[in-house]
Amino acid sequence: MTNHWIDLRNSDVILIMGSNAAENHPISFRWVTEAQERGATLISVDPRFTRTSAKADLYAPLRSGSDIPFIGGMINYILQNDLFHREYVRLYTNGPFLINEEFKMPGDLDGIFSGYDSEKRKYDKKSWAFQTNGDGVALQDPAMTNPMCVLQQMKKHYARYDMETVSSITGTPRDLLEKVYSIYTATGKPDKVATIMYAMGWTQHTVGTQNVRAMAIVQLLLGNIGRAGGGVNALRGESNVQGSTDHCLLFHILPGYLRTPVASLPTLEEYNTQATPTTKEPLSANWWSNYPKYSVSMLKAFYGENATRDNDFGYSWLPKLDDGQNASWLMIFHEMMKDKFKGFFAWGQNPACSGSNAGKVRQALAKLDWMVNVNLFDNETGSFWRGPGVNPADVKTEVFFLPCCASMEKEGSITNSGRWAQWRYKAVEPAGESWPDSEIMNELYFRVRTLYEKDGGAFPDPIVNLSWEFGPKDSQGKVTAVDTHLIAKEINGYFLEDKEIKDTLYKKGSLVPSFAFLQDDGSTSSGNWLYCNSYTDKGNMMARRSTEDPSGIGLYPEWSWCWPVNRRIIYNRASVDEYGKPFDPKRAVIEWNGEKWVGDVPDGGWPPLLNPDGTPNPKSMKGFIMKPAGVAHLFGPGLADGPFPEHYEPLECPVQENPMNKSHRINPTAKLFFEEGGDGKSEDVFYTCDTRYPYVATTYRVTEHWQTGVMTRHLPWLLEMMPQLFVEMSIELAAEKAIKNGDKVRVSSGRGEVLAYASVTSRFKPFKIMNSTVHQVGLPWCFGWQYPEDGSGGDSANLLTPTIGDANTMIPETKAFMVNIEKV
Amino acid sequence: MAKSVLVDLTRCIGCRGCQVACKEWNERVARKTIFRGDYSNPVRLSSDCYTRIRFEEKEEASGPVWSFVKEQCLHCKNPACVSVCPVAALTKTENGPVVYNYDRCIGCRYCMVSCPFQIPTYEWDSARPWVQKCSFCSERIKDDLVPACIKVCPTTTMFYGEEGEVMLEARKRLQDNPDKYVPHIYGEKEAGGTAWVYISSVPFEDLNFRMDVPQVVLPDLTWAYISKVPALFGVVFVAGVTGWVITRRIDAASKEDQS
Amino acid sequence: MKNNHEIKLMTPFTLFLLLVIGLGGVLAVYRLVNGLGASTNLNDDFPWGLWIGFDLLGGVAMAAGGFLIAGAVHLLNMKKYKPIVRPAVLTAFLGYLLAVVALILDLGQPHRIVYPAVMWQVHSIMWVVAMHVIFYTMTLGVESSPMLFEKLKWQKAVDFVNKIIVPVVLFGVMLSVLHQSSLGAVFLIVPGKLSPLWSTTFLPYLFLASSVMMGLSMVSIESIASARSFNHKMNYEILNGLVRGCIIALLVYLVLKLYFLVTGPGVGAAFAGTMEANMYLLEMVGGIILPLAILAGRNRKTEGINAMVTGHVLVIGGVLLNRLNVSISGMYGFQNATGTTYWPSTIEFVITLGLIALGIFLFKLWAKYLPLFPGTEVN
Ligand SMILES: Nc1nc2c(c(=O)[nH]1)N[C@H]1C(S)=C(S)[C@@H](COP(=O)(O)OP(=O)(O)OC[C@H]3O[C@@H](n4cnc5c(=O)[nH]c(N)nc54)[C@H](O)[C@@H]3O)O[C@H]1N2
Ligand SMILES: Nc1nc2c(c(=O)[nH]1)N[C@H]1C(S)=C(S)[C@@H](COP(=O)(O)OP(=O)(O)OC[C@H]3O[C@@H](n4cnc5c(=O)[nH]c(N)nc54)[C@H](O)[C@@H]3O)O[C@H]1N2
Ligand code: SF4
Ligand code: SF4
Ligand code: SF4
Ligand code: SF4
Ligand code: SF4
Ligand SMILES: [Mo]
Repeated sequence: MTNHWIDLRNSDVILIMGSNAAENHPISFRWVTEAQERGATLISVDPRFTRTSAKADLYAPLRSGSDIPFIGGMINYILQNDLFHREYVRLYTNGPFLINEEFKMPGDLDGIFSGYDSEKRKYDKKSWAFQTNGDGVALQDPAMTNPMCVLQQMKKHYARYDMETVSSITGTPRDLLEKVYSIYTATGKPDKVATIMYAMGWTQHTVGTQNVRAMAIVQLLLGNIGRAGGGVNALRGESNVQGSTDHCLLFHILPGYLRTPVASLPTLEEYNTQATPTTKEPLSANWWSNYPKYSVSMLKAFYGENATRDNDFGYSWLPKLDDGQNASWLMIFHEMMKDKFKGFFAWGQNPACSGSNAGKVRQALAKLDWMVNVNLFDNETGSFWRGPGVNPADVKTEVFFLPCCASMEKEGSITNSGRWAQWRYKAVEPAGESWPDSEIMNELYFRVRTLYEKDGGAFPDPIVNLSWEFGPKDSQGKVTAVDTHLIAKEINGYFLEDKEIKDTLYKKGSLVPSFAFLQDDGSTSSGNWLYCNSYTDKGNMMARRSTEDPSGIGLYPEWSWCWPVNRRIIYNRASVDEYGKPFDPKRAVIEWNGEKWVGDVPDGGWPPLLNPDGTPNPKSMKGFIMKPAGVAHLFGPGLADGPFPEHYEPLECPVQENPMNKSHRINPTAKLFFEEGGDGKSEDVFYTCDTRYPYVATTYRVTEHWQTGVMTRHLPWLLEMMPQLFVEMSIELAAEKAIKNGDKVRVSSGRGEVLAYASVTSRFKPFKIMNSTVHQVGLPWCFGWQYPEDGSGGDSANLLTPTIGDANTMIPETKAFMVNIEKV
Repeated sequence: MAKSVLVDLTRCIGCRGCQVACKEWNERVARKTIFRGDYSNPVRLSSDCYTRIRFEEKEEASGPVWSFVKEQCLHCKNPACVSVCPVAALTKTENGPVVYNYDRCIGCRYCMVSCPFQIPTYEWDSARPWVQKCSFCSERIKDDLVPACIKVCPTTTMFYGEEGEVMLEARKRLQDNPDKYVPHIYGEKEAGGTAWVYISSVPFEDLNFRMDVPQVVLPDLTWAYISKVPALFGVVFVAGVTGWVITRRIDAASKEDQS
Repeated sequence: MKNNHEIKLMTPFTLFLLLVIGLGGVLAVYRLVNGLGASTNLNDDFPWGLWIGFDLLGGVAMAAGGFLIAGAVHLLNMKKYKPIVRPAVLTAFLGYLLAVVALILDLGQPHRIVYPAVMWQVHSIMWVVAMHVIFYTMTLGVESSPMLFEKLKWQKAVDFVNKIIVPVVLFGVMLSVLHQSSLGAVFLIVPGKLSPLWSTTFLPYLFLASSVMMGLSMVSIESIASARSFNHKMNYEILNGLVRGCIIALLVYLVLKLYFLVTGPGVGAAFAGTMEANMYLLEMVGGIILPLAILAGRNRKTEGINAMVTGHVLVIGGVLLNRLNVSISGMYGFQNATGTTYWPSTIEFVITLGLIALGIFLFKLWAKYLPLFPGTEVN
């Protein structure tokens, strides 16, 4: 979230689209409800009418996989009717920038942008650039009338998304589209603000990233980012998924969103130069220019004493990806399927139920020599070898189960959606023989290191050189009890030698006050620069519990700690005009009082763009400091699939071809696992617009269960409320298939099938897509064969879902695919 | 100082945190259920389920309307169940809750018959069964704790406080948002007034609330008769005696004539 | 020792009775061991069933004959009914005992049956009822004790009872009048649940009125039956008298019912075609109007015994149905709103039959060994 949970209450219009907050983030509704009490309008857009929709002032349905047309239509509506926040767009976005003349768009090239290579399914982005003057500064047209300026190009691109077209793709009735557009875009005024709450309904698509991008564009046009009650708010999932992402959950990043090194960058120098952006823009802080300070401090945290200037601070010990290697979730099991893995740690996960195309995942696990399941309970993954249709005798995989403690049985921090790192104390003693994950890792590390020290091995250095200062050590140098506080401190970072900065002396061994103090000379360490300032000499900031709110807008600056540097609303420099005066004084986030900013922690302390007398202030900096040009990207050349979001159909969809173009039905840059027209035997098979699988399907969660249900299916109270897998369908479809409410039905896709109880409901409605009726159904994916023991719960909906992911993130497309249903 | 609760159905998101919290606090076991097509489960309050959320789905011209209705004892101000109990096993405590004392209960189940909201339930499967129902967490209230279900509610659907302030709040919300709420505080008059009252944006009859609940103090209906009992006794007595005297006289008279 | 030789005890009928009693007994034990859920179809929506509706409410109504006849003879000095005082009182006594047994089986905590005597709750009509049952059963005991004393030749005791009999009977009448009406009062608190076809603040008095005709019909049937089976000659004077009383009661009851129908839900409600409406019609036509016609229109020359029998049986059935309607059918609409239904389980039925059989058997036993009928007194 750019903002945070409490801030939702400050909004005038709340759009919940691509998420079902009432069911999956119940607590968010404390604040949504407060906003509504204040008179805010809640809009819910979802293929089916959810518990969120039930609370909404306006509900609009759309077919799964058609969000870009829906939002594209809104962009068009804004630009056609001149509803955008002109001052904001001019000051804080690249709207005025002039794009290269060679740049071409799907409108001209039948569905693709210029530079596409159909062999590689990749773009050469050369043409996706700005016109620059002699010294490389982008040319701008502040009036934003130049046909090549971003705003005009965008207007041209989205002119294709008129109401008619949009409605025929999304299936949303025109009048509802218009209602949503007019209500939401009315917040383009300085004193009005709207927010978006999205999650997996948007991301789990081959165009997932572009779904979010499209909305970011809307928020920028309306001047809603950086504002109280605004922003682009991803409702993060697992309680600490934000924290784990910050600490490099994903294969392509290192802690603090530093880049995973690739083989072609053998030296730290090359790595840093390649990763550090440069800019010619006079007013750009270009914060990433500090990259080397962060990477070096991180290496010092990893390898401590062993990281020296002479050995590149141990850069060579970091694991490297092959250039262009894709090591994402789907790939893991794809490679496992091909016997590329010997062993696998299923650490706090249940891929046998959560992985898209779970049937494939279950097969893949059988190719392993060994698997370690670290979990609170045994689950469908740990027991895959005795799952349905599996003969234990045929499985060679040796499975180990390591019972571990639940969150309340151990101390540490979790970082919530609002980027708050909150310290949690241990509430109860661990049950049975379970250990905290940290202790399991400590044991693992010590054993592996001892083996390397004894027997050497191919490449012992990364392990033997690790610094592991997490508690008191025994004679063999093994940490006897992991102290979570030491881990937290290492993440924040230390001064490794006495250091004088801005004529104050920081003693060796003291904690670094904030990332502004980090160095690239090895004199500081920081496990994750973003968390530098979370645990300082003032104490553990994450454990703070003050309920003071001087801001009056619910920032609660001294409740826990928030990255970066306790900034509660990021991009807040965009919430004020050129003079530093809030666009909306009623909901001021920050304000320039003449010599400094007051309110929230600003995105850098530089003065406003203009002096009180209206003259430009050369000491000022543009607000979007993480962007090379200091402005937000309406035109976003960074992504794989285009600088402007364009509609592509899901891998499996109900229409023959993409209504927006003839030649590119699906995202042209999405990685294909299975060539269409193949023999159909592959476990990655898909059937699009195929009479055998005529219904659009989606998967989702229910309040009563958590994820694959391992933590909730064991709880009789929750099972009592949601006992079995069900499939929701419209009254019309049920009538066609002679299915009655509560009947048992078989739901099948190209990849598998599940049995479920029918929920025949007016909350699902048939869609009118391109003048033909399209039915959609939906199922939760929280069940699995193992619990309840009698199997009454049913199996995972992921037996149905496809093997394909988003072009940028590879998140599987579990929100839109095709199935058949029949009464059993 | 009687406690009271305003259930504002417009705020309920149907998360059922309350349903679970109640089970947890009151140590009620779960029963095996099956998915019957809608989300409501279990199908009814029972001796193991003091509160539950009823999912009410209606199709309007404007589209679906989906409401979430919390069911539990309404803790009537003059409870029928209390008045009918022959052994005073049920009592209305002065701080609001209607509580049950199994030391007295004989198991006649008149309380169940008399409740206009079908609230008290019975341990049918037990050989020595007790009556079970929401206790308004009276033990918690005694210790100045908020009832479990109210405590966990993420949206403050339930406004908990002193009887007076709760009714004020209810009226205030109706006045301030006439086009949001239907002009009806369910429980203000029903059964002569209940400690738990509801307000809603959907007419209560569409949410399958009991609309046939008399708007009178139910125990009065019986009392009207019971209070007459002594009088009736007297009447019959007098009638009996006079009948006896008169008939004996006639009898004697007829004897004389014969002789 | 002298006993009533005309009465043969070991008839096939008696054996059948014993069989049913035995069965009922066994199931009663089963019920006590395994609980209500295991043995009945009662549930949270239908907490009361056959045992309350038929055995208790019906049983008590049947017993009304006791106080009516005793009252008539001892208070109003109607000598002609003297011969049937004893059978009437005995039936009442048995009726009550059986009602109490049924109640015990129905209570969730049977062993606590006496609690109400200790833990008073005067606002509870159920408590009032309980008190009545206790006292009236005692009274009936006293009223029927002479038969035993005579048998045992305890002349003093007999004389003593005869001395105090008038006040005792008076007390019994007072209790009964209240008690019969109190059972109606039980349902005053559920106006919302009970169909307006039955629900009225006057319910107690309707119960009283109907119990009168029920009581008279019971006594009549009894005397006819015993006259037949124990072959003494019918006493038409008595029977016609009873019929007369019954007709008056029926008329009064009919008028009341119609009055409350019209002033209540309106005549239309009775023809709504719902289950409730039909039950109501059945009760009105089959239980009041028809018997009224039959009894009034019977042929006096041929003494029309069969007409009497049919008439009385219909009255009894009608009142029993009324009790079931008030306690179950009348609330069906409300109670099965959640979709739950109720139909008595076999166990409920068999135990009920067992109780009836027990009643008849005890009566027979009593008739054989104790001076129940005129001419069997020992002076
Ligand atoms: N109770 C509970 N809470 C949870 C979780 C849980 O398992 N249980 N999981 C947590 C985790 S890890 C996460 S990531 C979050 C996920 O939070 P959400 O994203 O809210 O979860 P979902 O239910 O998967 O999807 C949300 C909605 O997307 C809709 N949808 C499906 N397809 C489309 C589409 O094409 N477009 C749009 N606009 N909507 C679509 C679905 O109908 C569904 O209502 O929830 C978190 N919170
Ligand atoms: N069809 C479909 N598939 C989906 C999704 C969807 O919307 N639709 N959503 C996707 C999303 S957003 C997510 S996040 C994934 C989730 O996928 P998974 O993470 O694989 O699924 P979970 O059930 O959350 O697994 C978490 C496991 O961690 C265990 N656990 C809990 N606490 C601890 C702990 O402290 N330590 C350890 N070691 N283990 C612990 C739990 O018991 C549980 O087994 O599923 C994805 N899969
Ligand atoms: S994590 Fe728990 S408390 Fe937080 S929203 Fe979800 S259910 Fe509510
Ligand atoms: S709702 Fe029913 S159980 Fe609760 S107090 Fe009122 S009458 Fe008694
Ligand atoms: S069942 Fe128990 S609590 Fe209910 S009325 Fe009878 S004695 Fe009272
Ligand atoms: S008040 Fe207590 S007992 Fe009643 S429903 Fe709430 S939690 Fe359950
Ligand atoms: S906890 Fe609150 S919001 Fe959730 S279901 Fe209960 S009353 Fe509704
Ligand atoms: Mo997630």
